[in-house]
Amino acid sequence: MTALSIVVAVLCGLTALLGLYYALRELNADLILLGACALLTVGWVVLGIALGLRDLGGGSPEDPITLYGYLLTAVVLVVGGGWLGVFERSRWGSLVTGLGALVSAVLLMRLHQIWPGGFA
Amino acid sequence: MTAERSAVATGRGSRGFEIVLIAVYGIFAISATARSLVQVLRDFSFAPVAYLLSLLAAITYIAVTIALVRGGRRSAVARGLCIAELAGVLIVGTLTLLDPALFPDATVWGHFGQGYGFVPLLLPVVALLYLRRSGRREEGSGPVA
Repeated sequence: MTALSIVVAVLCGLTALLGLYYALRELNADLILLGACALLTVGWVVLGIALGLRDLGGGSPEDPITLYGYLLTAVVLVVGGGWLGVFERSRWGSLVTGLGALVSAVLLMRLHQIWPGGFA
Repeated sequence: MTAERSAVATGRGSRGFEIVLIAVYGIFAISATARSLVQVLRDFSFAPVAYLLSLLAAITYIAVTIALVRGGRRSAVARGLCIAELAGVLIVGTLTLLDPALFPDATVWGHFGQGYGFVPLLLPVVALLYLRRSGRREEGSGPVA
């Protein structure tokens, strides 16, 4: 779970920085930024599935509603950010894509604070 | 190189900076709603004032998001709601400092939104400045609906 979290964290940072760079350079979201966003979505989904499988296999996290609520929110944020990046064809659309990734990074950080040592 | 420049940004359907405001208000609407619902449903009697104020914050964020999506930068409703939001943050923030006993648990606007990196305090200020600026610009450039 830790390795997976690190991957997701790196993807978050990458997408957030790309979004900021695009906004500063006045660029629309293109396939690179949206690709990073899609990768990040896949990362979050894989993390969620890994946690779900662990819990199905007998794990029982403290406060599962909040845990899965956080995971779902993170996916919605990243997908929503990418979606706005597609439809808002300006630097601001790119910024929103980056913001979604940034806030999902905060969620990841909170996950580790609330469930220290691997979300359980 | 091949990426389009945002000169197209002024084209049809583009909202510009407005979309950033809508996104941030949307994020706060979702997170404040989730937080207040969990607080209220789990153990309302533990800190009723704090939880009710969280709920109020959530409703305000939802209302501003809807007003911005529908009316955009010209929305008078959005402006009024942002003023109410700013007042809310200032009043609740001051209350948490003056009377901590009222707040056994944290609320969204407590300590001027410290738990959210003070974004709740900055957000209405940025929104009001933006709404005022674009309202003034459009007044000068022709009829406004």
